Amino acid sequence: MALAHFRIDPSKPVLIAFSAFLCALIFLPLSWLVYFSVTDNAGALTPNNFIQLVSDPTLLQPLLTTVQLALGVGLICSLVAPPLAWLVARTDMPLRGWVRVLVTASLVTPPFLGAIAWEILAAPNSGILNQWYRALFDLDPYASLLNIYTRFGLVFAISCYTFPYVFVLVANALDRIPADLEDASAVLGGGAWYTARRVTIPLVLPAILAGTLVALLQAMTLFGSPAILALPAGFHTMTTKIWSLFQYPPKPGLAAAASLPLLLITVVLLRTQHRLLRRRGYSIVGGKHGAPRLLHLGGWKWPAILLCLLVLGSSVLLPYAALIKTAVVKQPGEPLSWANLTLHHIDFVFFEFSATKLALYNTFVLGVLTATLGTALALVIAYLTARQLVWGHRVLGFLATAPIAIPGIVMGVAIFLSYTRPPLVLYGTLWILLLAFLTIELPAGYQQLQSAFRAIHPELEEASRILGANRLQSLWHITAPLLRSGVIATWCFIFIGVIRELSAAILLFTADTKVVSTIIYDLNESGDLGAISVLGLTMLVVTFAVVILANRLPVLGASAPGRS
Amino acid sequence: MASVELRGLTKRYGGSNAVDGIDLTIDHGCLVCLLGPSGCGKTTTLRLLAGFIAPDAGEIHVGGKRVSSPAKTLPPESRNMSMIFQSYALWPHMTIAENVAYGLKLRKLDKATIKKRVDAILDVTHLERYAERYPGELSGGQQQRVALARALAVEPETLLLDEPLSNLDANLREEMRFEIRRLHNEYKYTTVYVTHDQIEAMTTADRIVVMNQGRIEQEGSPEEIYQAPNSEFVARFIGGTNILKGRSDGDGAVVCDGFTLRCGQGTPAAAGEAAVSIRMHDIELLTRQPPDRENVAAGTVVRQIYLGALRDYLVELPNRAQVRVTTAMQINVPPGRRVWLRFPPVHCRALAPSAPDQTKSVQVETVT
Repeated sequence: MALAHFRIDPSKPVLIAFSAFLCALIFLPLSWLVYFSVTDNAGALTPNNFIQLVSDPTLLQPLLTTVQLALGVGLICSLVAPPLAWLVARTDMPLRGWVRVLVTASLVTPPFLGAIAWEILAAPNSGILNQWYRALFDLDPYASLLNIYTRFGLVFAISCYTFPYVFVLVANALDRIPADLEDASAVLGGGAWYTARRVTIPLVLPAILAGTLVALLQAMTLFGSPAILALPAGFHTMTTKIWSLFQYPPKPGLAAAASLPLLLITVVLLRTQHRLLRRRGYSIVGGKHGAPRLLHLGGWKWPAILLCLLVLGSSVLLPYAALIKTAVVKQPGEPLSWANLTLHHIDFVFFEFSATKLALYNTFVLGVLTATLGTALALVIAYLTARQLVWGHRVLGFLATAPIAIPGIVMGVAIFLSYTRPPLVLYGTLWILLLAFLTIELPAGYQQLQSAFRAIHPELEEASRILGANRLQSLWHITAPLLRSGVIATWCFIFIGVIRELSAAILLFTADTKVVSTIIYDLNESGDLGAISVLGLTMLVVTFAVVILANRLPVLGASAPGRS
Repeated sequence: MASVELRGLTKRYGGSNAVDGIDLTIDHGCLVCLLGPSGCGKTTTLRLLAGFIAPDAGEIHVGGKRVSSPAKTLPPESRNMSMIFQSYALWPHMTIAENVAYGLKLRKLDKATIKKRVDAILDVTHLERYAERYPGELSGGQQQRVALARALAVEPETLLLDEPLSNLDANLREEMRFEIRRLHNEYKYTTVYVTHDQIEAMTTADRIVVMNQGRIEQEGSPEEIYQAPNSEFVARFIGGTNILKGRSDGDGAVVCDGFTLRCGQGTPAAAGEAAVSIRMHDIELLTRQPPDRENVAAGTVVRQIYLGALRDYLVELPNRAQVRVTTAMQINVPPGRRVWLRFPPVHCRALAPSAPDQTKSVQVETVT
């Protein structure tokens, strides 16, 4: 007890240490970003970068293209995803469960991989679909049905992998609407259509809008898809333009200035989305109120299935089939035959080409390190904020969520600018990639773990304290076991996020620090689609394996008996 | 011997005093209920006692030892207390037996002793059959019993209960009230029980402490609290009473509009506004005007409800005040009929007016 009397309150140093680390992680790069945008090469203050940004047509045009692109993607997603979600959540359409599974598959597909798959499918000459079209109608060798290297092609290829954001939000909202609300309308005389129009749709409208905003945001900040599809078509988006400003001769000041509008728009869109989802009255209280009655589709089920097939065919079935075929054949355009089959690509990727081996190793190391460090960091911050243990925990929470508003490519620029100069010269090492990934993945990890902590009633810890356990014992015996599945989920989430990251990595990798996503991009430049397919499929298999492992393995805390 | 002592205990949250200078002494082995509406500071008091929060002023002594003061607060684990939480706080990843054994393992008892004590307490709480189940597999009442067993197993010096029955349905609540009292009689731990339910307090407590706005409004045995409320707040909160407003005549009677109530209990203000409390079942309902006028008021029946053994009347007096009266089932008067109410002086209790009135009466006094 005498000792306890002299024990200092550990909360202050803990808070200061974590805040300082998070500040360094986030504000250091952002400060350099702003600094570079307002100075010239000699370091003098200048508005020239911004003047050039709005006056130079080669910079202004990509900005306009990006806006068009984002609006186009938003439009397609908001038109396609809500009906799909409604069919899955509210009707008796056959194969509903499979639709959900396939939408999840398209959600975890890296968009750049999807873009490459569509390149295989719908490049004007070599595209498989175009070759079929020519063969079917016996047309001349230059006729083509589809051309993915167009603005619309790009919008389409991006929409295929952003519509799941809208779908997931809307389907969740529909799942959470208590059947009572719809029943109440029916009892008062509202028919099925009237109820849908006046009750159901208004209730999910915020989810539709919020999801669409996320899709917009994705479309704006993606680097991979436009780099693969827009550059061959001869136009730029903001992200590819920023990337090109880093090519020789590098113009870091201009790149920094071009990054800022992207950052600004992201912040505004996220604020809007947050407000939409939080508006009172739209938030439906949880709890099961009986399963909703499913609408009987009858003969309408055929058009419904056709719609699902069209959407999922475009985003999952056709692209995956194309990737699988390309991985094992010599000529993707030729029909499948024994003569056409080859193991060359697999052999090339895993045994011949030394760069892929290094990239696989780097990706694995970075994935494991980022996931472990990120989970640990998020765990401590989430604990401090969820239990409000230190004064100023809100600041910590804000810092941990802030990077969500920084697009990957902007993060890449900022981190490049900060760590290519003393005191921390990390460029050329894996550390710079680790820092970038850690910052990018921290918000998602933090949010997951915070909700995991919220699900654990503080009284569970207090009960342990009052029975004689100190704080650490309580954490070990009570909190840790209850948190285990949340921690594992977070770890897997970050791991998957890292292995598919391209936007930041594309600016930060060097010859020795290539990762799988940048190798795929390099191979695309050289047109080696077979190797890309092998690598891409490997990436997907690892991703799915991690997801399934995390959900299924009882050792990993999936289901212990008697959990309520 | 005083087991728990609170001295000037104060806790502030955002500028307001959640607990405002509480002095309270709890005897060893006594079951005390902290009773009050939500936000009255009772749960904060309990959490201060447990050591989850530190006071801003005042001290807590347990067994003569100071455990809480603004300068230093002993952590919960060093207080040899147990607590039962509103949510039960059973650990979902441990079986019932593991839940109950938790505190014993922390006390580094040997395995045989732990087993013996877990078995004993599960036996007392009728949970032997569920030892290997998980909390999620038990009903609400059983979970409540596990919480009790877990708290009692460590043989605490002090037992704290935070609204332990508020998540149970009415039947179970009644059963568990008696269960808690039975276990208290068996173990006689000093117990502090927080509730907002006056019946729960009445049926379980040795002493009741009525709290209001962070302060102790009245402390006493259940009988004292029920029969002799000191203030309008206590009278109203315990319920089943009528409060009649009037002016004190300075001579032990309160003059209402049209009738006068002579009070056999309490001390009315010397002059000025005053209130009289009388229980529903202490009022006599007469269908004929009685010959004497003392403490009698005429009125009209507004509503009558048949309650089986009793009838519950609502009677409106000439001053438009409404009085609830319960009578024997045989007295049957339809609504609209004129009746006379007799308020026997021995049951009329003059009350200290509640806080806002207090300041008003002081003003009146200084003026006159």
